[in-house]
Amino acid sequence: LTNSIDLGLNLLDHQLLDAESRRCGKVDDLVLEGGPGEELELVAILCGPGVWRGRAGLIGRAAAWLGGGRRVRIPWDDVAEVGSHVKLHKRAAELGLGRGDDRVRPYLEKIPGSDR
Amino acid sequence: MKIFQVALGILAAIGGFVDIGDLVFNVSAGATFGYQLLWVVVIGVVGIVVYSEMCGRVAAVSGKAVFDAVRERVGFKAGLAALISAQVVNLMTLTAEVGGVAICLQLLSGLPYRWLIVIAGIALLVVVWVTAFEWIERIFGYGGLCLLVFAVAAVKLHPEWGAVGHGFVPHVSTESPLLYAYFAVGLLGAAMTPYEVYFYSSGGVEERWGPKDLGLNRVNAMIGYGLGGFLSFALMITGGALFLERGIEPEFLGSITLGAEVPLGQVGLLLALVGILFAVGGAAIDTLFSGAYNLAQFLGWEWGRYRHPRGAPRFTVTWFVLLVLALGLVMTGVDPVQLTEYAVIFSAVALPLTYIPIFLVANDRTYMREYTNGRLANVLGLFYLVVIMIVAVTAIPLLILTNVGQN
Repeated sequence: LTNSIDLGLNLLDHQLLDAESRRCGKVDDLVLEGGPGEELELVAILCGPGVWRGRAGLIGRAAAWLGGGRRVRIPWDDVAEVGSHVKLHKRAAELGLGRGDDRVRPYLEKIPGSDR
Repeated sequence: MKIFQVALGILAAIGGFVDIGDLVFNVSAGATFGYQLLWVVVIGVVGIVVYSEMCGRVAAVSGKAVFDAVRERVGFKAGLAALISAQVVNLMTLTAEVGGVAICLQLLSGLPYRWLIVIAGIALLVVVWVTAFEWIERIFGYGGLCLLVFAVAAVKLHPEWGAVGHGFVPHVSTESPLLYAYFAVGLLGAAMTPYEVYFYSSGGVEERWGPKDLGLNRVNAMIGYGLGGFLSFALMITGGALFLERGIEPEFLGSITLGAEVPLGQVGLLLALVGILFAVGGAAIDTLFSGAYNLAQFLGWEWGRYRHPRGAPRFTVTWFVLLVLALGLVMTGVDPVQLTEYAVIFSAVALPLTYIPIFLVANDRTYMREYTNGRLANVLGLFYLVVIMIVAVTAIPLLILTNVGQN
């Protein structure tokens, strides 16, 4: 990791990739800790429809409702690399990410030709 | 061998350039103003070359497709607005293209239109599910090359070449300036349709382009789209030489084929129909995937047409749902040609939301390293940002003032 990144530009809203380079969500929000006068520390990434509620007014709330409102907290320690994409140390399933894809997959697998 | 492959790719790109929006706007512009608007097509084609090169370069260097870049640069809120408008316009375009496929099938077979909508839908579904994706692009691209019949037809119709040449010189019509402006906006919107860059940049990411592919990207964008623009000239010239001369309004997709049938007979008609079928069918598939790309990229889902459907489940479900929605909309009996006009004009409104973030990312050193825009790309890029802003602001008022190009 480089020592300085612009959180708003180089981290927020970027693609998350798990340990197997699977796309598993976006950096929907960041959790910073530290009171006034203290050093702010980035402690986690938030991901999931539940986070959109606070980010885009009425349509954000509608989108969160449509998406089921789940939110996942990824500790900053699980982040392996911040480059073009944000790479994670663990697999998506371990972190509770990419569940939508996992839920739909079994249905698609029943259709012939889905693995070509 | 590599040159051979590049050449095949370019041929497919030429055949895939024209969609229902280009067909409708180029021929109607020719039928209304003769060759006077040819210069606008040049501006539109150069615009799509500039921005597809930029998107391809961003994809190659940073691995980001358009809606990754949109969300990262403008944030969740503005990005969501961009996504919603892009998806609405994209669904309209998809519906128009699917309707166009059904019309072509009807003209070729004579069977009832509604049946053919269902057949078109099943055919698209089977092609997308069964065929490997590099082949889909080629089959439809090569089939679309049948549209070159319009280039032969344009020559055979013996247009006044002096007037054609004059059409390439920028000028403004004084007789009906509003209608002229409406067609200018439509031609720009049709040439610079955003789904083309969604599709192009996502394809670059999927094919794992890297900096070594930047030459290929440039050649694809310049020659593929550049020569594709050549087909637009041919369509407008047939519009001017045949439709304007004889006072025909090309209100139906079928009447566009007259441009080839009158000078070249049955063979011309058949080639034109097959060409339109493949061009519009290919565009239907491009728009279908563009809709799924955009949503998946915005939300960070797994995506890709080179993946097995099981490798990108929500992406697969998205394009399937979009296809069903489009078929339902065509079934309502909406006229694909009219819908095309609205789709092109609304897409003109949404253009800045797509192109501004791309321009910003292409200039960002943290992503692009030494591959940021050069001076030429920036001068042209800025010029086109101004052009699309003017287009975006004037599109809807012109639509209303000219009564969708009717007066």
